[in-house]
Amino acid sequence: MAYVVTDSCRGCRYTECVTVCPVECFHLDEEMTYIDPENCIDCGGCAPICPVSAIHPSWQMPADKAGWVEINRLRAAETPVVNAKLPPLPGADERARRLAS
Amino acid sequence: MAREVVIGACPHDCPDTCSILTTVEDGKAIAVRGNPDHPFTKGRLCVKVNDYQNRVYSDQRLLYPMRRVGPKGSGQFARITWDEALDEIAGRWKAIIAESGAQAILPYSYLGTQGIINGLNVGDPLFNKLGASVCERTFCDSGSCTAYMMTIGHTPGVDPESFVHSKYIILWACNTLSTNSHHWPFIEQAKRNGAKLVVIDPVRTRTARLADWHIPIRPGTDGALALAMMHIIIKEGLTDRDYIDKHTIGFDELAERCEAYTPEFASAETGIPVEDILKLTREYATTPPAVVRIGVAVERHAGGGQTVRAIACLPALIGAWTHVGGGLLQLPIWAFPVNWPGLMRPDLQPETMRVINSWALGPALAGEMPLDPPIRALFVYNANPMAMVSQQQTIERGLAREDLFTVVSEHFLTDTARYADIVLPATTQLEQADIMFSWGHLYLSYNNPAIAPLGEAVPNTELFRRLAKAMDIEDPFFFRSDDAMIADSMDWSSPVLAGITLEELKQKGYMRLTMDAADAWAPHRDGNFPTASGKCEFKSSLAAGGNFVAPLFRQGYGGGQSGEPVDPLPHYLPPNESPRTAPALAERFPLSLISPKSHAFMNSNYGNLPAQVAQAGEQQAVLLHPDDAGPRGIAAGTPIRVFNDRGTFEAFATLSPDVMRGVVVAPAGFWQRSNQRGPTVHALTPTAFADLGHAPTFSDMLVDVAAA
Repeated sequence: MAYVVTDSCRGCRYTECVTVCPVECFHLDEEMTYIDPENCIDCGGCAPICPVSAIHPSWQMPADKAGWVEINRLRAAETPVVNAKLPPLPGADERARRLAS
Repeated sequence: MAREVVIGACPHDCPDTCSILTTVEDGKAIAVRGNPDHPFTKGRLCVKVNDYQNRVYSDQRLLYPMRRVGPKGSGQFARITWDEALDEIAGRWKAIIAESGAQAILPYSYLGTQGIINGLNVGDPLFNKLGASVCERTFCDSGSCTAYMMTIGHTPGVDPESFVHSKYIILWACNTLSTNSHHWPFIEQAKRNGAKLVVIDPVRTRTARLADWHIPIRPGTDGALALAMMHIIIKEGLTDRDYIDKHTIGFDELAERCEAYTPEFASAETGIPVEDILKLTREYATTPPAVVRIGVAVERHAGGGQTVRAIACLPALIGAWTHVGGGLLQLPIWAFPVNWPGLMRPDLQPETMRVINSWALGPALAGEMPLDPPIRALFVYNANPMAMVSQQQTIERGLAREDLFTVVSEHFLTDTARYADIVLPATTQLEQADIMFSWGHLYLSYNNPAIAPLGEAVPNTELFRRLAKAMDIEDPFFFRSDDAMIADSMDWSSPVLAGITLEELKQKGYMRLTMDAADAWAPHRDGNFPTASGKCEFKSSLAAGGNFVAPLFRQGYGGGQSGEPVDPLPHYLPPNESPRTAPALAERFPLSLISPKSHAFMNSNYGNLPAQVAQAGEQQAVLLHPDDAGPRGIAAGTPIRVFNDRGTFEAFATLSPDVMRGVVVAPAGFWQRSNQRGPTVHALTPTAFADLGHAPTFSDMLVDVAAA
């Protein structure tokens, strides 16, 4: 069990999640972040602070996002840890507004 | 749409007491989240509480009083009114008191909620006034508390936030990431600052995986390690002589006592190589500030009390207390100026009370204990003993007695509540007000009610007001409002509450006690231990009075203590049940079983709720080393039976080298009547007490495992 980052993060990558995670379980590539399910302690701190609501618990995934459980597992193993907040990707705010509307 | 955010505090029996923000829309709680402003809990909750609103609105909630209409344990109930329930309870209690005396009534509770006015002591004044039997509630930390009092007194110890200053951190029998997770960022910060983190645990827990050094130790042998560490510190001159001379008593006797506890002795007991014991000790003694965080588990074996005695001596021996971030962290609860006598009201007790220990519930109910009068009425609140207390089958036999009148106040129809004659509905934390201490940080918290009570559920405070009225009590003390009870619950004249008002506390939700900040807190730099001598007592003066349980765990009653002789110096007591100490038993049951807290449950809380049950893996899992599973023909994920002479439970095998060979791990919390469908791990746990404070010994047992 773990929390899972989904495609809503892609193109925004706000990394607010990283500031609250107590166990450094976030990884990232050029597009988005991923949660390492081996380290996640299910504390849930990241989900409510994500500006685009991209993070869900693996036992409550929206049906169309279920594939992201495995993607997080695979990508977290291949990508570096991110433990400090980064600037969001260009166009993130515009994209977040679109997602919210 | 009316939308508001209400600030509260987590009610659970956990050190972290998180600040919670509940979003309420049109009177309904729609979400909870951690409060990002809280300096310790920092905007996170945990796997248990993240969806607390689903606990509140669960379709399993008990919302009305009910009376049993089927056989005991059948779970068949019919709704009645509160008046009917109270009339029946008071009628039965009065008749029992008239015929047998009030001691035939036994209250039974612990920390289903740990709010100060609804928690540990809420029923004590009523049962003290009635003269009922005292339930000696030694579920948790009682052995540690006795040992701690004997050694360094009731000190808050190291501020958990001061850990950022520590350079050597030992988490001893403490799986921080599962049971104290909001402490972790302070430990991680210390690591970033260059601290070394050591975890001592039979299991490579998720916490141990993140440590610099995990030291596996055989269950129940921690005392041997602590005594050997003292042996080495003394022998190698790693002591702080100045600190010892000024702020301790009994050093010469301690040194003599520790001579026998060589590294070789400890290695044979603990399974830790001699060189590792030497390295650990030398690093600990020479890397200031050094701090030890003990968990609750360290007391749960035959020598648990003396283990904590020995660990509590270590910091003074090396002068660790002279540094911010150096010393020992056990229970910072002692920093809170709680008005314990005002909560418990021992002054209302008759001169002598009959004391029945919480772990003896089975024999006490089932007639297997000489009790005159026998227990004829049981009142359970804040507890689910059928899931969490040893001798499960005996408890079940007792609860099934037709002549036992059982009342249970609960959120859900637990394994225990199923046996009730009357069930009463209790509110959750979102439906009640409370003031909260913490045993893991130094913030006083206030829980504002977020929503109105559901159905006819009432807070425990209201429950006991109604019971007092039904029992014809007239003393206005029993009819104070929650606000008055909250105001009475603390000693507001205490310096640690200077500048803290209830009004401000309600508004902010939490306030740090008025003490030195975490970067200056060094409470025993100059001694000042709250012991009889004011010093750290290697040789304990309290030992002269014999074994005792802190009155806090006995409704304030100080009489009738067991008083067995206690050695004033720390010493080693091996486990009752281990291959080394009980070889004949180990022929039949060669594996040591420990039953730690589940990552997803809070004791048995959430053992019935889908989100947490899913996260606990749906079924009881038991962790085995592959080398123990292989010869038994057990494959990963397959059903197994775990058994000893006391009982059997069913589980599924998880195989991993993360557990020591010869040790099996069965996290507790599943209910018999939810996913477990049969006895739980506590069907196997022993009934013996640890050496101090009547702590349980359920990490001190031998079992065997077989494919089911």
